[in-house]
This record gives sequence, structure tokens and C-alpha cells, in this order.
Amino acid sequence: MTPRALGLLLVVAHAGATAGLAQGYRLRFDGRAQSVAFRGVIADSLLAVQVVTGEGGGLITPDGIAVRCLGGTYCYFFRPGPERRGVPISASASLVLWGLGVAGLSVHTTARLITDLGDGTVWPGTEPAGQLLEGYAQYERDWLTVRAGRLLRASRLEALGFDGASARARVPRYDLEATGYAGWGLGLAAAVPFSSPALNPLDEWRPRDRQLVAGGELLWSPGPGEARVEYRREVDPQTDYFVSERAAVSLRAHALGPFRATGGFDYNLAEGHVGSADLTATWITPRLTLNAGARRYRPYFSLWTLWGAFSPVPYHAVHGSAQATATAWLQLRVRGERYWYQDAEASTPLVQVEDKGWRFGAGATAAPNERWTLDAGYHAEFGPGASSRGLDAMVAWRLGPRLSLTGYGGALERPLELRTWDATTRWVGGRGEWRALASGRPGWGLLDDARLWAEITWFNEDRDRPDAAATGFDQLRLRGGVTLMLTSSADRMTLPPATRRRDP
Amino acid sequence: MSRFRPRWIALALLPLPAAIAAVAAFGGPPRSADDRFGHERHGRLFPECTTCHLGMTETGASVWPDPQACANCHDGTVEERIEWAPRSEPRASNLRFEHLAHAREALERNPADSALGRQCTVCHTALGAPRMAVQHAVVGNCLECHQLGPSHLVVPDTACARCHRPLAEAVTLSRSDVAAFPLPPSHEREGFALGGHGPLAKVELPGGRFTVAASCATCHARNFCITCHVNAPEVQAIQALSPDERSLALSAELPKPGSHGNPAFISRHGREATREPTPCATCHTQESCTTCHIGVLPRVVTGLASRQPGRAPGAATRRAPPATHSTGFMDGEHAGEANSRPGACETCHVRPQCLDCHRPTSARGREYHPEGFLTRHPASAYGREANCSDCHNPGQFCQSCHQQAGMTAMGRLGAGGFHDTRRAFLVGHGQAARQNLESCASCHAERDCTACHSAFGAGFRFNPHGPGFDPERLRRKNPSLCSACHGTAVPGRP
Repeated sequence: MTPRALGLLLVVAHAGATAGLAQGYRLRFDGRAQSVAFRGVIADSLLAVQVVTGEGGGLITPDGIAVRCLGGTYCYFFRPGPERRGVPISASASLVLWGLGVAGLSVHTTARLITDLGDGTVWPGTEPAGQLLEGYAQYERDWLTVRAGRLLRASRLEALGFDGASARARVPRYDLEATGYAGWGLGLAAAVPFSSPALNPLDEWRPRDRQLVAGGELLWSPGPGEARVEYRREVDPQTDYFVSERAAVSLRAHALGPFRATGGFDYNLAEGHVGSADLTATWITPRLTLNAGARRYRPYFSLWTLWGAFSPVPYHAVHGSAQATATAWLQLRVRGERYWYQDAEASTPLVQVEDKGWRFGAGATAAPNERWTLDAGYHAEFGPGASSRGLDAMVAWRLGPRLSLTGYGGALERPLELRTWDATTRWVGGRGEWRALASGRPGWGLLDDARLWAEITWFNEDRDRPDAAATGFDQLRLRGGVTLMLTSSADRMTLPPATRRRDP
Repeated sequence: MSRFRPRWIALALLPLPAAIAAVAAFGGPPRSADDRFGHERHGRLFPECTTCHLGMTETGASVWPDPQACANCHDGTVEERIEWAPRSEPRASNLRFEHLAHAREALERNPADSALGRQCTVCHTALGAPRMAVQHAVVGNCLECHQLGPSHLVVPDTACARCHRPLAEAVTLSRSDVAAFPLPPSHEREGFALGGHGPLAKVELPGGRFTVAASCATCHARNFCITCHVNAPEVQAIQALSPDERSLALSAELPKPGSHGNPAFISRHGREATREPTPCATCHTQESCTTCHIGVLPRVVTGLASRQPGRAPGAATRRAPPATHSTGFMDGEHAGEANSRPGACETCHVRPQCLDCHRPTSARGREYHPEGFLTRHPASAYGREANCSDCHNPGQFCQSCHQQAGMTAMGRLGAGGFHDTRRAFLVGHGQAARQNLESCASCHAERDCTACHSAFGAGFRFNPHGPGFDPERLRRKNPSLCSACHGTAVPGRP
């Protein structure tokens, strides 16, 4: 165990001890493990003189793998790699404490210990071993919320973690909320700074110091909807140059009878272009939900990378979905999307690639009674880079309020556009889940809920190629986990059995 | 099975209803002692009511005849013998009425009519009925004399107390008597239960305090109000009522307010409750809210009463996903909602639930992505069905896994020939790269690109800048970005 992991464990233990001093607390513990395998490729080469001509006239290795020769001494090829098996195992704890003697004061912490029991760090995301995702103190009054510590802000500008503080002030009379925050940033979707080696496996250039983050949001929420404007900047403290500077607008309307609408866009102030945007209208009735909308996706890169200078182009899409309750026990769903890329202004006659795509999915869920649920679905997607289509089905059996068993299976095909490496995967598996407490019932003292689950899945995968690099492998994927929820009775009192006075 | 055809069973059961009807008509239990005296049959025998009921008009006299007087005729010879004794208990009633007082007051108001106090038929027979066709006081006659209106249950609410005692004082009424109280038409009006009754039930007293209307107290007691009112201890009108278990013989059905059926109610109710919490406090306890609200509770929730004796248990709520949470909601549709107002999600969801997906542990099972996603993920990642970096760090997740799988770059593009479906991919990769640059970056380091695109050093000076590139702005924001390829000779730099 690394010193950092040990420190994190001590923090969690200390927080647990502190829980005894607080009038209210909620602690969720998650333990999970899985055994998973994958099989990649190994880059290889051989002397050009060793290359032979295959049946179709192409150049191959003596053992039949297609090679690429550029007129040099060597030719290059990829041969099937070995099966790599990882056994990642993690323990997460999430703790909220309140009633600490100061009205409105609470402490929130989510931390994780993770490692790979397999052969090295095969499976991604197992480093560093100790990860503090969130850990902050919060002080809340009628009009003000202040947080300080390690924060994670959800936003249209991507969720951002930072070590710092935020303050939110509310003016109910005018339906306004204003938020400001500042601190030292973490890596994108990570619990460590971007300068951490864990985020840089290819050993690319990174600034030495963490970026300074500052931003603000203004939310106006009159009755019929909400409008939110936000601004965020990240600055390299060493050079005082921008790492990013962006703004976003989000809108939501929900007072239009069965209609709702959400939308918004972000603008990259540092690069001077509109980023991603979306607009979705939803029509909701008890039996039918319809969604229709349009969106635009443009990737975002920090200015300490060069990727933005290569002018990535956005795609635009229209999409729709419907979900219908055909009968009291049958639900049908269908969704589709069509998208097309903006002209990249880089096409050549030598290489033609797709610039449009679509996605489609349909399925049905049947629940003839409280014990049985059956689900089946089909999906297909075609687009630049890769496509896939497949079927899957599931049947779940609830043996009372505590135990449920699920069996499932499916198959999918996945061709690639830029590599001859079609894949076909079939799987079948089962899952059992046991809950110590029936939902909504009083807990066992401090233990509010406990969940134990295990799952086993058999995969068969074929990687299809017209040469000897075609391969396949089977794997048995094992997973399991336990979740414990411990609470004081301060925030969730024992409920009487719920009885509805009259059906809606 | 053929011997037990349904029609034979039906025929066999046919006599059963007839038998039940016969028993009901001719059999059954013996007549009860409360059966009324056959006044009409004795009409010619008793010209005056006071012959038997003298106590109704004269103080100290009995209101019932002497059983011995009946036995003078019903001696077993002249007439069949009867067993009868006057009632010792007062009749079950919630009337304020007393015959002597009523007669006295009537005479005081109209002294000219000396017979008024003795005209029993005015109250005890229907209009036009024979003299001895008596019954309990005909309510319509009371209403007519007192000019209260044409029908008992439509009299003004303020008039009930003229004739009736509060339920708590009507101790002779049994629970079943209370259950048989008729329902006034006013109570069936739409909105009566959901607030319409409130203004009628409150009577303001001097000093700004309130008491309960006497009409309500006629049929109801505090226990009845507490079946619905969580805020009963805070409502003065309810507290003005006496407690009485018999009031629970009447049941109230509280419908869900119309506003609660609006699909947008779930998203709106917090704001409305914050602005005006009083209506919520009528029916909801904290437990109504904590069915869904978790973690640190909103202030408006903590302001509600907890479930405790003396209060209604509170409207039962059921934790169910809002209508917006359709099957596809978790796949990506929730992003718009969550981005617009994250606080709305935090009402029912705690942060760890978000972090389960948005900061996934590598040890997790399939929860967000479907089974087989490892094979399928290129299709989703190339087209960015969802934004991968919302949950995964591209370096920690994509690059490290591709590295383990032998799929990260070995240097300048083209040497390995990984993209083998296009022989000239090296010279024509620009479009694919600009369309899916994040996918490129999942295997390639920047130096793989600058090997050809850099403007100094060993680079071939292939200009990578495409549509929308704003060099002037980038130079202002972060000139070190330009220096990476241009060194000190950044175009346009003074």
C-alpha cells in the first residue's frame, strides 16, 4: 500500500470516527471486483526478403499474416497478442456528516482504494491506488452555500474537479442564484492532477504545475423554466497563459403542459468557436414519451495540448426516440439518430472515409407480474471509424423483495472502417443479487441497506481477418460486489407502510 | 369431468337465492323491543296524546304510560298479553330539544294560541297525515316553522347548532349512529375536501383567534380532522373541537390535488413549497418528503412536522422516477437536464450515484455500458454517441488500455500499417483525423503528428490548421502552443 493510499485510509477512518460525534451521517461502502480479459496485438516486423506472396497476390509473412512494406529493409505487421487478464478490485466509501454543532455545517467525502490483483496494471484506471474524488465541508444558510475542499462541479463545460472553494448565493425574490468558485484543477475526469504519470501513459508533454481554475454561474429560474450562464477559465500559473477559457448557456422549459425542452451550447473563448450544443423537446404522457432534438458535438482540448491546432470539426445530428406503454405490462422503445460531419477540408482522392452515420435501437420490456421481467433489444450503428449491430435479451426473476436472479445473452458484430479487424462477440451470463433489507423497510439499527451481488458471463469472440492474424478467444468474466449503507436516523425516519389513499 | 357440466351446477344452485329471499321475508330474528307502538291502531282509544305522554307537557309527570294501564286491556282475555316496559335510558340523539322548554317558548312567543303546546301532530306527523300517524319529529316541520329552508341538509351551515348538540356532547349516540349521519350536499362539492371546508370551519373570535364552526362540531370531532390534517395541532379551529373517537366512524377520502397530477409537478413542487409551505404542511409530514429526498434535507422539509401522535400520518408518497426518466434517459438524455439544473438531480440522488458512472471504478460491472461494450466501444467512441471524457480520462483510460493491447503508436504514422484498409492512409488521413481527433489521441501521442506537421526541426511543415482556426486569438491566449511547432518564428508574432 502506497503512503498516499495509507493516508487516504486514515482520512476515511478518521471520518468514520467523527461520525460518532455528528448527529447525522450517511455512509455508503462499496466493494467490487472483477476478473476480465482482453486480447490485443503485437507490432512486429521482418526483413523484406522474407516476405512471400499470398494466394490473393498480397504480401504476407511466412506464417500467413499480411504485411506492410514501404520499400525499406523491413516490412511491418501486427500479430495476435497474448490474452491479458486483469483482476481490478476496489473499495469506495462515501460519507456525509451533519449535525456537527453548527447549524448548516456538513462534511462530504467520497474516496476509493483500487488495485489490480492480476498480472500488472492490465485493466485501466487502477492507478493511483488511493483516490479522493470529493472531500469538502459545506456551510448552508437560507441564501448562501459555501463549500471548501476537493470539489467536483457538474457542468455543461464537463465535470471539473478542483481543490478550492465555491460559494452560491440565492435571491429567491428574483429567482436568482449566483455561484463562484476557484481552486487548483484536477485532470479531466480524474482524481489526480493532469501532471500525474497515471494520466500520461504515452509520456507526452505536460505543464509542471496544476492549472488555476476560476469560474462563475448565474441561474435564473422563474416558474416556467431555467436559464443558466456559466464561465470558466483555467490558467497555467507558471506561464500565466490560458489552459482554457469557455462559456456556456443552458436553458430548460417545463411549464408547457406535457412538453418540456432543454438546450444549450458552449463557446470556446480561447479558440473562438462554438463547441457542442443540443436542443431536445420532450412530450410526456402517461402512456407515451416522445423525444426529438438536434445536437452538435465538437471535441474540446486544453491549450497545453496541440490537438486543438489540428482543427477538429464538429458533427451535427438530429435524433428522436419514443417510449410507449402498450399495456400495463409491456413497454416498447425505439430511438434513432442521424449525424454528419462538417466539411473537414482535408479530403483527398486517395483516401475516402465516411463522413455521415446513423444509430438505431429498438426494444421491448415485458413485466407480466412482479416476479418476472423480460427484455429484448436490437441496436445498429453505422458511422465513420466503426459500426456495430447486435441483439440482446434478458430475463429477470424476483424471488421476493430480497433476491433476484437474472439471465442474459446476446451477440454483436463490429466491423472497423480503417482496419480489417471485424469482430463478432457472443455472450451469455447470469447475475444474482441479494438485498438484506426490503426496500422502504426500517433498517437493522445503523445498517440501512445491504446489497450483495455476483455475476458470471461467458464470452466468445472472433476477430475476423482474411489472413493468419484472424484470432479469437473465449473468456469467463466474473464480477461481484457488496454495498453497505449505514445511516443515522436523522435524515430518513422510519416510514410507515405506504398506503395510497386513492389511485391517481 | 363430463358429469360436472356448468349448466348442471347452475341449475343445482338456482334455488339458493329463492331460499335466501324467503328466509329474509318470513323468518329472521324476532321483533326487537325498540319496535314502535302501533299508534294508528289505538287512535280511537286515545283522543289525547297526553293520556299516555303527560310528562311532555307537565313537569314531574311521566312521559310514558304506566304498563299496568296497558295491561287493563292486554290481560290475555280482552287482548293478548304484552310485555312492555318504558325505556329507562334516554333516546340516542344529538338534539338540543326538550319538550317542556319548547312548549313553553312556543307559548311565550304566541300566547294567543293556548293549544300550541299540546299540538303534538305539528311536529310528529307529516303534512296531511292522520292524527295518530305519528313518527319521530318530522324534520321538515321543524325547518318550516323555523323558516330554515326546504330541506334538512341544505340549511345554512350556521343553522345546525340551533337544533343539534356538538358530537362530543351527544353522548347517547353510538359509533354506528354517527356512521349513519347523512352527507350534506355541500360536502360533495368539488374542492370541499381539498380546502373548501377550511374557510367554512373557521370562525374568527375577538383578538384574532379562531374557533370551529358549530355546524362542523355537530358531526365531527378532532379525531376526524386528524385523519388528514398533519398540522392539526397548529390549527386553532381543529384544536377548538373536542376529541371523540366516535368521529372516526365517518371516513374522509382526500383526493390528490389536481396540481399533483401535472407531469411537471415533480420539478415544480420544491419551488412552490418554498414560496408557500403552509398548504403542504396540511397533508405532508417530513416523512412524505424523505421518501424521495435524501441526504441533507431542504429547509422547507425540516420545517414540516414529523409523524407523531396528534397529527395525521401524512399523505403517503411513493418513490418513483419522474416521467422524464424514460428508458433512454440514463443513456444520455439526462445530460441536458443535469446540465441545466444539477440541483434538481441532487434532490433524489446522492453524489455517489453520479460518481458510480461519472467516476467509475475499474472494478465495476456492467452498469452504464451494455454487455459486450468492450467489443462495441469503437463504434460508440468514433461517433461520440456520448462524451467519453465525461467519465473517463483519455490518458488514464483510453491510452493506457490501448497501450496494454499493443495499439498505441510506434512513431511516425504509417510505419506499422495498423490502418490497413486504406493503403494510402498516411497521405489521406486528414479527414479522418479532423472528424475523430479524440480517437486518434487514444493511441497517438502529439509527437507522432508533429513529426510531419511541425514547422521547425525535423518536421515536414504540413500545415495542420483547418477551418475555423484563429491563430491570432490562440497566440493571445497561449503563445506556448504556437511555439511547440513554430519555435520562435511564430507567424504574425512581432
